[in-house]
Amino acid sequence: MLTGFRSLPPLFEETPNSVHELTLARDIFEHAVLLSVKIEDQDAFERDFFQLKPYYTDARNRLPESPNEYMILGLNLLRLLVQNRIAEFHTELELLTSTALENPCIKHAVELEQSFMEGAYNRVLSAKQNVPNETYGYFMDLLAKTVRDEIAGCSEKAYDYLSINDARQMLLFTSDQELLEYSKEEHPEWEVKDGSVFFQKAKDSAPCKEIPSLQLINQTLSYARELERIV
Amino acid sequence: MTQDVEMKDHQTPSHSVSSSVPSTLQHLKEIASVIETGSYAKEIRRIMRAIRLTMGLRRKLTASVLSAFLNFALVPGSDVHARLSGFVPKEGEHDMEVDTATSVTQTPAKHVLPELEIYCYLLVLLFLIDQKKYNEAKDCSSASIARVKSLNRRTLDVLASRLYFYYSYSYELTGDLAEIRGNLLALHRIATLRHDELGQETLLNLLLRNYLHYNLYDQAEKLRSKAPRFEAHSNQQFCRYLFYLGKIRTIQLEYTDAKESLLQAARKAPVAAQGFRILCNKWAILVRLLLGEIPERTTFMQKGMEKALRPYFELTNAVRIGDLELFRAVAEKFAGTFSADRTNNLIVRLRHNVIRTGLRNISISYSRISLVDVAKKLRLDSANPVADAESIVAKAIRDGAIDATLDHANGWVVSKETGDIYSTTEPQLAFNSRIAFCLNMHNEAVRALRFPPNTHKEKEGAEKRRERQQQEQELAQHIAEEDDDDF
Repeated sequence: MLTGFRSLPPLFEETPNSVHELTLARDIFEHAVLLSVKIEDQDAFERDFFQLKPYYTDARNRLPESPNEYMILGLNLLRLLVQNRIAEFHTELELLTSTALENPCIKHAVELEQSFMEGAYNRVLSAKQNVPNETYGYFMDLLAKTVRDEIAGCSEKAYDYLSINDARQMLLFTSDQELLEYSKEEHPEWEVKDGSVFFQKAKDSAPCKEIPSLQLINQTLSYARELERIV
Repeated sequence: MTQDVEMKDHQTPSHSVSSSVPSTLQHLKEIASVIETGSYAKEIRRIMRAIRLTMGLRRKLTASVLSAFLNFALVPGSDVHARLSGFVPKEGEHDMEVDTATSVTQTPAKHVLPELEIYCYLLVLLFLIDQKKYNEAKDCSSASIARVKSLNRRTLDVLASRLYFYYSYSYELTGDLAEIRGNLLALHRIATLRHDELGQETLLNLLLRNYLHYNLYDQAEKLRSKAPRFEAHSNQQFCRYLFYLGKIRTIQLEYTDAKESLLQAARKAPVAAQGFRILCNKWAILVRLLLGEIPERTTFMQKGMEKALRPYFELTNAVRIGDLELFRAVAEKFAGTFSADRTNNLIVRLRHNVIRTGLRNISISYSRISLVDVAKKLRLDSANPVADAESIVAKAIRDGAIDATLDHANGWVVSKETGDIYSTTEPQLAFNSRIAFCLNMHNEAVRALRFPPNTHKEKEGAEKRRERQQQEQELAQHIAEEDDDDF
């Protein structure tokens, strides 16, 4: 039905009902985006969001502001964060005005990204308690999973060993059993003995002491060739 | 060149308008003849020279000179003439009459070249922009673009590319840049079809500028990566391209590449383009900070830039020390400047680097330190600073920023001894990259050398030359015959 409206992007024709039609179309797409979150379909979310986007950018002057706009933009930022598409996250961020950045929904996502980059994972997780909107729950759960992987990756580099108790707390598991399963599936190189988790094996990549002879020969030869060209 | 002209002007203020007007007009007429010969001989170089000369005269354009020149160059009463004269306000009537009297007699005899016509458009456009009549400039530029579209001559490319630039500029000044995006894309397509590389270059830059003006980095990058690239024709356009490229890459977190293009843009830009160079430097400084480098002091002390770069200097200082408090203070103090430069979001990203530097300082100075102290030193203000500090340190270790291990049971960080750097391949790598840079520089310089044409030929005697020419002629004939055979 929407295809029948000539006032929609990309045509943007000035018809008498254009404002009405645009608002209707925008509402439909907003619902589509929210629905895709509810059924936990990230691809559908991306698709619907891109269809919705022109209504926020190009049709900005023709329409009254949508009450859901910032919430949905924030959702999209969160999605990019969860999928670890940080470059796109920042590209989207550049499009926002300073007033938009003040909005709690957007601010939430921006602060999450910062904490995430710094490594303050506790802050990311505690942010879960004060989400600005209940639709954020789905992505926050996903984010928690991403965070767990990050923590696991950091811990195996930073610690020599951790007691099972500490490891469980750090990786946010409720029982030791879950921890053991996780380490078996994701990090088989971890060693569990004497009530501690040892990360020794993960650090095996000791610097090799071999002289990179081939590389050196190549470099020296290229210097000789270049010098000859100059002289 | 510009200076020369201006000096002359200052020496003869007493002669007043009457003497300077004809001289400017005289210059313009000379330029017109340069364009004419250029277009007949199909020498693009001449037309480029004409434009360079025009830029020297730009500040001396007045309404009377302009209308006199229009009368001289175009057929009075023709469409174009009427349209262009409409843009020029009527003033200094008597001056004009004198000139027209002489020039009108010449004009009917000759046919107006398209090059000359476009040149007139360009002149009027320049004049209107200088007079801050932006709305008229918009109309004028749109008319000229419509005319350029219908013409297809290689000798026009140079003039057309200037027109494109002012076309976009006039729209930017009135703040309607989004309006012409479709038109620019169409022009870019036409230029590509006509193999007008200069036009493509200019239009691509204008489009990038257009997108970046509205922070549409996504679209800009998509266009940039798909547009055809070739050896740059104009240094200025290349600089701009590098700058836009650097900006896009900065936003997309490809800092290493961004740094390269921004520094190159700053280095290649002409000395006169002060504003552009300052902008390049600002971005380059930020990108280097984001990369974890600290720009040298001299970067901030460049001539004429100290003042503009001051906020960035203080910012660098804060990052260098690794003091979050100071960083916050600087960011707040210069918030106005940063948001005017539209670098606010980048500065927000820097916070993370400040923490890193702080951590690195701590890890160098202490062999063992408790996490409580780390949190205190970094001035982390959150509900649970120790846990935050722990995970921050853990991430820094994983990213290789510091070399240490954590002891969770005791709650401290143990730094590893810094190894002897000369036992690694690090110095070798540094040496290699510097040598490679020098050699590359030399090769580029050799490639950029220009030899005056035919110097080596003059050495051969007249006899030999005749012989060679004859041979060449024979060869050419031979080839021509072969071509005929082919048909």
